[in-house]
Amino acid sequence: MMAETRHTESSLCSCFFLYDRSKVREEGDLTRAGIYYYYPEQTPLDQQELVCGQLAGVSRCVSEISASPVRLLRLRRSKYAIRMRDDFLWALSCVNDLPDVSMCDFLDQMIDLFCFYNGSVRRSYQLHTQEELAVCWARYLSHLQGGATELHHIFTCLTTIDYTHIDPLLLMKAALILQVCQRCPLVLAGCILHRGRMVSTQMSPELTMKVMVHETETYGLQEQKKPTSGRSSFLATPNCTTTTSVYLTQSELHTLRRPLVDNSASCRSESPKRPLKPRLLSRTLSDTPITDPSSCQMLASSPDSSLSDDASFSLCPSLASTPFRSSVASQSEGVDADESHDHDLANEMLLFEGSAAAGKGEDGEHDQVDDVSAGYRNHSSSEDENLLALRDDEEKEEEGAGQATDIREERVGVCEERDVVLEPMLLYEHRVRGLVLVLLVEPGFETHPNAKQEVYHSSLASLNGLEAHLRTIPPASEIPAVPYTFAHYDRIQNTLTTNMCGRSTGPQDRPFVKATALLHSHFSHVDMLQEAIIRSAGCALYATRTAAQETFFVQQGVPARNSGIPNGQDSAFSLPSKARHRLLKHGVNLL
Amino acid sequence: MKCLLVATESAEVLFYWTDQEFEQNIKKQYGMSQEESGRPPAFADSINTLFAPIIISCSTMIDRLGDGYTSFSMENGHIYALHQFEECLYIAVNGDGEETYEDLKRKIFVMKKFTEILFGMVTLSSSLLKKELRPPDTEQRIRIWKKLQRLLETYSRLREQDQSFLVEAVERLIHPTLCEQCIEFLERRLVQQMNSSGERAGEEVLHAFILVHTKLLAFYSSRNASTLSSSDLLTLIIIVQDLYPSNLELDETPSEEVDSISAPDIFYTPEPSPIERDSGQLSSDSPPVFQFVDPDVQMAEDSLQTLQLPVSDPMTPTRVFLEATFKEGFFPMMPHSMYCLPLWPGITLVLLTKIPNSQVAMSVYQLLEAFTKLEKRLSEGLEGTAALRSQSPIQELRIRVDRFIRMLASMDILTSQLQNTWSEFKNKAFTRSGPGITKALVPSCRSIKTQLCGVYQQCFAAACMGTNQCLSTTLQERALNMVQEKLIDWKDFLLVKSKRNITMVSYLEEFPGLVHFIYVDRTAGQMIAPSLSVTEGSASELGKGPIAHFIKNKLWSLVAKTRQYLQKGYTTVTLRDGDFYFCYFLWFENETGYKLEVVDIPNLPDDSAPIGMLAWDYYRKLLRYYSKSHQNELVKCYELLTVHLGVVPTEYILQHCSQLARKLWEPSRIPLL
Repeated sequence: MMAETRHTESSLCSCFFLYDRSKVREEGDLTRAGIYYYYPEQTPLDQQELVCGQLAGVSRCVSEISASPVRLLRLRRSKYAIRMRDDFLWALSCVNDLPDVSMCDFLDQMIDLFCFYNGSVRRSYQLHTQEELAVCWARYLSHLQGGATELHHIFTCLTTIDYTHIDPLLLMKAALILQVCQRCPLVLAGCILHRGRMVSTQMSPELTMKVMVHETETYGLQEQKKPTSGRSSFLATPNCTTTTSVYLTQSELHTLRRPLVDNSASCRSESPKRPLKPRLLSRTLSDTPITDPSSCQMLASSPDSSLSDDASFSLCPSLASTPFRSSVASQSEGVDADESHDHDLANEMLLFEGSAAAGKGEDGEHDQVDDVSAGYRNHSSSEDENLLALRDDEEKEEEGAGQATDIREERVGVCEERDVVLEPMLLYEHRVRGLVLVLLVEPGFETHPNAKQEVYHSSLASLNGLEAHLRTIPPASEIPAVPYTFAHYDRIQNTLTTNMCGRSTGPQDRPFVKATALLHSHFSHVDMLQEAIIRSAGCALYATRTAAQETFFVQQGVPARNSGIPNGQDSAFSLPSKARHRLLKHGVNLL
Repeated sequence: MKCLLVATESAEVLFYWTDQEFEQNIKKQYGMSQEESGRPPAFADSINTLFAPIIISCSTMIDRLGDGYTSFSMENGHIYALHQFEECLYIAVNGDGEETYEDLKRKIFVMKKFTEILFGMVTLSSSLLKKELRPPDTEQRIRIWKKLQRLLETYSRLREQDQSFLVEAVERLIHPTLCEQCIEFLERRLVQQMNSSGERAGEEVLHAFILVHTKLLAFYSSRNASTLSSSDLLTLIIIVQDLYPSNLELDETPSEEVDSISAPDIFYTPEPSPIERDSGQLSSDSPPVFQFVDPDVQMAEDSLQTLQLPVSDPMTPTRVFLEATFKEGFFPMMPHSMYCLPLWPGITLVLLTKIPNSQVAMSVYQLLEAFTKLEKRLSEGLEGTAALRSQSPIQELRIRVDRFIRMLASMDILTSQLQNTWSEFKNKAFTRSGPGITKALVPSCRSIKTQLCGVYQQCFAAACMGTNQCLSTTLQERALNMVQEKLIDWKDFLLVKSKRNITMVSYLEEFPGLVHFIYVDRTAGQMIAPSLSVTEGSASELGKGPIAHFIKNKLWSLVAKTRQYLQKGYTTVTLRDGDFYFCYFLWFENETGYKLEVVDIPNLPDDSAPIGMLAWDYYRKLLRYYSKSHQNELVKCYELLTVHLGVVPTEYILQHCSQLARKLWEPSRIPLL
């Protein structure tokens, strides 16, 4: 199991835990039974129990009085973002003075990441041991706090390559690669990353963020292990592609599939011989799908009709009897055969159902798996959520028959807490040294006769070319110093442009970061606020925002002496015009 | 949905206040859970049960992690604020979105201020404070809780309606001539006459002031009085408003209820809601109504709804504990008697007197301070003579305590408990057989302190105020008549003036586009702002109805926002918010009006005391901090907030602001004394 968590020196999170209240109900139950994961992991158990027990207890009491879950819990010297869902409670606390909004976003990202790679939390903990999943939590934690600057943490935004120092043609090229891939069968959307930073994406910022974890992790690992081990040589081969199973929420899937009506209709049908519309290199308005009633009918009658875009993804168990079941089953076997040497955890989880059913389960886990599969079988008939209640020892023997049923059940949808249904999907990854193409693909991708081949061949050459170009871009340190600092946050794409990148946050940047954090949380609370100037003795910051963006600007250097009285000559009030003027050359238009 | 409660570490609720919505909410939760047992539990019990785990968890966290809760935010917007003062935990809850965490924290600190004003140094001993806040006697408890609950409600009303309580600075009526005349009258005629009268029962009038609603007309302090702090003055205004509330909304529409009680000397049972009753009483043009509790009022166990408090006779003074600075030093909670004499509805004369024996309070405070210091050094591990550096101070302390006990004995004050504790202390500290001056003395120090607070309580607590210990009724009546006579011609003018003190009309021509402003002299604790009346009856320049309300709400939220920036060290803030442009400036001047350079001001943590002057004087601390770098100058601190229309170009807005600051500097020069 790949394990080592990368502890960055600038550790942002000071405490994170997942606590399951359902494990601590009776008087005699120990608090430790409810602690599923605790960071820092070396914390003494007594301390863990104290923090978890108190915070969980107090959260429950307060949420009873107010009839609502707790969101933020503040102490004198620390604060915790809280998420309470069913019996689970997550808490996250950060070391520095991160704004409340950012901390809550951070926690939500953690939970989303876990669900993306592992599916439902409850189910994951039934299928896997706490130790196994602890590795996941640690990985997501280190991913989210690693690498990026403090500004990125404030905005909880994606880390992108520095667009200001890159030839726009390269970006277009990257977008083109993605569009070409999207034309391939069963491909939903893609994203190109370079050295752990986003180059171009077709997915929503939230989804891109999730997809990046996997890439950053494998990239980091590759960098670490380059000289040794068979595994790294496997990764280093130019044609390294992997697929990982991931879980998407219904709404994510819905938005992903919507623009692809024509594409999905043609590609998802199992007969590639059917006449296809001519493939366009890039999608334009003229390429809007024409929905003719006949094709709709055809879709409705096709076996996997439930996958079509705007169908409401009904979870009726009857769906399980569609032929799709067998295709998924064979797919999982395919994965087993092809990539059993891939130790990626998420992959293992997919494998798990297949291998465990075949009797490969190891020691303690064996029983658990049996229980769960039994639970799932019952689940199909009763549709009861509570798997624990359904543990049924007598059905243990039916393992062989259970295999397909399990996966079918999974297909039907892993009912997540609060009716968030997670759909299994695949993440295809193609690596060319530092460059990675990540595609979200339909589950049938692996078993499709030529989907993988098509994607691979249509993108290989261009990826190589792009990688060669990106490699030559000078590192950030060579950016010339300018007498001002700015940060431009794109609220739609969730990206940040700043000339503070590359530099570590030095003492000269402190005032800027502090003021930006304050104003960013002010902006997030007051919709009508458009513009602000705030000034202390040492720093004057100008901030402006529209529905789509937030921009922050300070002039470096010693500010002119002032008395703080209203004075039109004051340099602070000339900041708006300066910002407008200066930022134009960074591609930020404030006019 | 609002609630505020004070509890001990052992989860005993010492005091609570809830609004009806919160109460109903709790009752609903408990009504459903306890239906089987028949009657739902008493409300106080439900509160206790619900909050006990939170209180206990809080003290566990403090004990084991050294970090206590300060707030909870819920997904549905409910907010809880928690603050620990000594051994008491204060919790404030809001569930209707009307208050932010900052507001709740402020309310907690204001509550703390009320206890200090009402109980004085008794608040320094947790065990005594517990008894004051939650007396074992039900009737007494209901009385004290009702009083505090009403003070809280009055405070909340003022904070929502009154600009001077928004920025926490006193607003004065801008009429220099009348103001000066009144001050002169208070000095030459009133205070002088009263202090030379034989009927004053040993009391001495230190301060006298006239309030028109919440606004100050004239203020006079006698020569040997210490200055009255802004924090105390604001709290006294709340107390006056609690006794004689001015509810502006109902003031202008006299109801039938008013007529029915307008005849003097009528006995009536007040309505359950104090505000309704009070407004009714106030809007009448009659002299104050003497009210007594209906003897038939049923007294139910722990039920506050059923018992109405007697509204005290205006001739009976209120005991208040105010800050004072004498040549001997600074004394935080000196006992005073406060006489609130209603001249007419809305206009009140307030007299603050020094009571006999107040030197006992000074000695108690000095001894408390000495023992606190001793305790601190001992618990830090400094033992023996090092604990007090040399031998003499502890000997001196010994002499001082002995002298103090003799003084008490000569005044017929019971001191047996203090004497016992003191001799125990002496046995431990000064005899060979005892442990000497070591850490083991710490508990003895604490019990001495408790005993000292006990003596203080015995001498000054409101409960033991003798009915005969006050200025004689005839003297009070004479004072009342004198001032009434003086102001009778001004009465109506003053009542109107208090609502339209200054108006935006006079500024519109000079400052086109200016919508509103507030100017505060933080050194004097005074503010000037155009009236911002949003009631139906009186139209201000903003008109009435939604726009006026919108601007008022905007102003309130912007003041809160600038405080957040100030807390983080930002003294200038400009915001473009919707159709308005908002500016805030804080600056320092020396006495001649020379603008001093801005310095980095301290960055306060989130749970620090709220920025303001009512519960805790932030600006006094700020001035002290600033003065460090300006040793030989008298530093003054000013604030200006403006609201402009957003279409006005920024250059003009800034120009307006600086002109306005210059213009407003003048009226703020009117002397207070």
